[in-house]
Amino acid sequence: MSAVLPATVPAPQTPFRRFLEEFFDSKLATLGFALLAAIVLVALFAPFIAPHNPYDLAKLDLMDSRLAPGEQGLGGASYVLGTDGQGRDMLSAILYGLRVSLYVGVVSGIIALTLGALTGVLAAYAGGRVEQFVMRVVDIQLGFPAILVALILLAVLGRGVDKIIIALVCVQWAYYARTARSAALVERGKEYIEAARGLGLSGTRIVLRHLLPNALPPLIVVGTVQVAHAIALEATLSFLGLGLPSTEPSLGLLIANGYEYLMSGRYWISFYPGLALLATILAINLVGDQLRDVLNPRLAK
Amino acid sequence: MRLRVLLAGLALALPLQAQELNIGLSTPVTTMDPHFHNLTPNNSIAKHIFETLVGQDDQQALKPGLAESWKALDDTTWEIKLRKNVRWHDGSPFTAEDVLATLKRIPNVPNSPASFAIYTRPIADAKATDPHTVVLQTRAPHPLLPNDLATIHIISAKMAGMGTPDYNSGKAVNGTGPYRFGEYVSGDRVVLVANDKYYGARPAFAKVRFRMITNSAARVAALLAGDVQMIEAVPTADIARLKKDARVALASTVSNRVIYLHMDSGRERNSPFVTDAAGKPMEANPLRDPRVRKAISKMIDRNAIASRIMEGEARPAGQFLPETFHGTSKRLSPEKYDPDGAKTLLAAAGYPGVFGLTLHTPNNRYINDEKIAQAVAQFLTRGGIPTKVDAMPSAVFFSRGSKLEFSFLLAGWGAGTGENSSPLRSLVATFDRSLGNGAANRGRFSDAGVDAMIHTALTTIDDTKRGLMLAAATDKALGELTGVIPLHYEVSTWGVKKGLAYKARVDQYTLAHEVRMTK
Repeated sequence: MSAVLPATVPAPQTPFRRFLEEFFDSKLATLGFALLAAIVLVALFAPFIAPHNPYDLAKLDLMDSRLAPGEQGLGGASYVLGTDGQGRDMLSAILYGLRVSLYVGVVSGIIALTLGALTGVLAAYAGGRVEQFVMRVVDIQLGFPAILVALILLAVLGRGVDKIIIALVCVQWAYYARTARSAALVERGKEYIEAARGLGLSGTRIVLRHLLPNALPPLIVVGTVQVAHAIALEATLSFLGLGLPSTEPSLGLLIANGYEYLMSGRYWISFYPGLALLATILAINLVGDQLRDVLNPRLAK
Repeated sequence: MRLRVLLAGLALALPLQAQELNIGLSTPVTTMDPHFHNLTPNNSIAKHIFETLVGQDDQQALKPGLAESWKALDDTTWEIKLRKNVRWHDGSPFTAEDVLATLKRIPNVPNSPASFAIYTRPIADAKATDPHTVVLQTRAPHPLLPNDLATIHIISAKMAGMGTPDYNSGKAVNGTGPYRFGEYVSGDRVVLVANDKYYGARPAFAKVRFRMITNSAARVAALLAGDVQMIEAVPTADIARLKKDARVALASTVSNRVIYLHMDSGRERNSPFVTDAAGKPMEANPLRDPRVRKAISKMIDRNAIASRIMEGEARPAGQFLPETFHGTSKRLSPEKYDPDGAKTLLAAAGYPGVFGLTLHTPNNRYINDEKIAQAVAQFLTRGGIPTKVDAMPSAVFFSRGSKLEFSFLLAGWGAGTGENSSPLRSLVATFDRSLGNGAANRGRFSDAGVDAMIHTALTTIDDTKRGLMLAAATDKALGELTGVIPLHYEVSTWGVKKGLAYKARVDQYTLAHEVRMTK
């Protein structure tokens, strides 16, 4: 109705501004966004903020191992969150660990989203045998527990950030494909696609320029949830000792290292990385939830 | 009423036997076949069911087992008198035939990943002169025959034709030991029941259940919660706290197991994990140069590893075995931490800051294995050799290591025979399958002088002379040539519930029949 009465609207409202307004309507989501922004910034600038470089073995001092938070080492360095069994500063290790977690989560998310969305939309657009084939592959893929597939892949591929990303993409693309297909199926029946066909546009152009952009909102929602998933999965794999080398610990590996010391009361080696992981996943999920509410037309106020 | 009196009388007449003992093991038992896989956790279980001709006490000193006595008739002939009135679990009597069948089976176990054949190879011929006397003929003078016999579990001749699967299912498991086979579930548990007809001391427990709890924290939790009454390999992080806990008692001793670094000194060029400073593969192999190996040894602060990583539960090592063992060197002491000396040596060898390494290590075999590797990487990186660590489960590690896929590796060696020839033969003698030498020489160290000394020592009958020769071989292989780099001797620790006691063993075996009740 408001479209008919533009004069009553005081400020010009672009869709993006409306989106922002709706998004920041929720206090929880604002908090989540602030937390996420802070984590991303800290992770990006970790090399400048962190008091030590936890990956430089030459800078570690074994004699400073297992210091409690706030204690001073032999060389006079003080460790705000303590040190682990190798004398690694926990604060620095967490900052660098966050960097790895976010990098792995986001990069694997983007690749999986691209791959999944393309196959999903193609399946929906092509229909018939192609669709049947693609969707059965997706079904089979989703039939396996994600952790199992990732474990097997990493056992074969070996260690390294790139290998973890490959494993995570293999595990995740199916979620995107399924979402993209259902969104595209809805869009395919709409008039503008028929109009585009009537105009004689090529298939690729219809899929890429018309179908895909309109199927994007649900994919973004799935994407945020999946990034959180990917981060948790990476932490799980690292906890199990697969993935990254032990001299360059990510959050999961830090937690695993500290786990052995929990019984003897050195809680900080596990606790603080655990807290950082929890905060990251929580923040992403809060933002994701609100995105889902805002982008879903059925839930619009 | 009469029945109750009768039962009470029976209860009084029988000596006290506690019902059940639950033990938490740190490493999975891979088989019930006593000749399939020579591995400490397997041998430890086998020693409950089977017995050896020659036994070993908790310090690995030899004592009579199934053999009452043994003596050398001449340089190559040994007469072994067997114990009489010993019966197999199935009731049949133990005779010389069983010994002969065992010796015949050992070299012929199919697919054995670590064979016991190195212990039977010196024996050229075995015959029974009467049902309780065996005469063994060795190929060459072999004074260590009794030590070798201490590793060979005797099976009954009746079961000699059975394969490893029959042992794993329990069908073929027929021993003479204090416990009988109950149940074996791979990767989960082994259950043994008391052999009430045992000729020696009556087992203190009617049933023993070994649970494989590989996660150290979970193992400690199980002990504290009372799920198990005993655990082996108490994690170093928890020892200080458990010492103060009134509910448990700890037993510990320096073991016969040395943790060491092996370096690829075999390949002249293109060692797989030697890189240049930029991380690219390097053609030359600096690890062939004894000065480089010595420099690496000097870069490592063994006291720091013992105190920080092992939390005091290790003793810095200068050779293969603690000095109290036979055949060890009196001259070698742990290499002093000397980063400056290391730099000088590295420069003299022509490799100052020009190469990097990857250290491969198992992550579930030795106490804190992966953490030790990281600490070593720390010291080497600081000393000018950038070092990465690649840790993997022991099954993968040993198969890859034996295929020589590594350049620099961390491993351990426990001297099964209880004297110094075992590590010398396995770790630094030139690899030779037919002689059974260098079986664990994954760095392919080879020195003719060392080989000659080991060979002469092994054929020297006189104990003192042999000891001196083994010590001299150790001096040359470790002190002079740094064939391997010893780091420390593991201190093995057992935890038992209050009311039980265990005498710590240097061979790291966890033996239920040596657990005593203190009240």
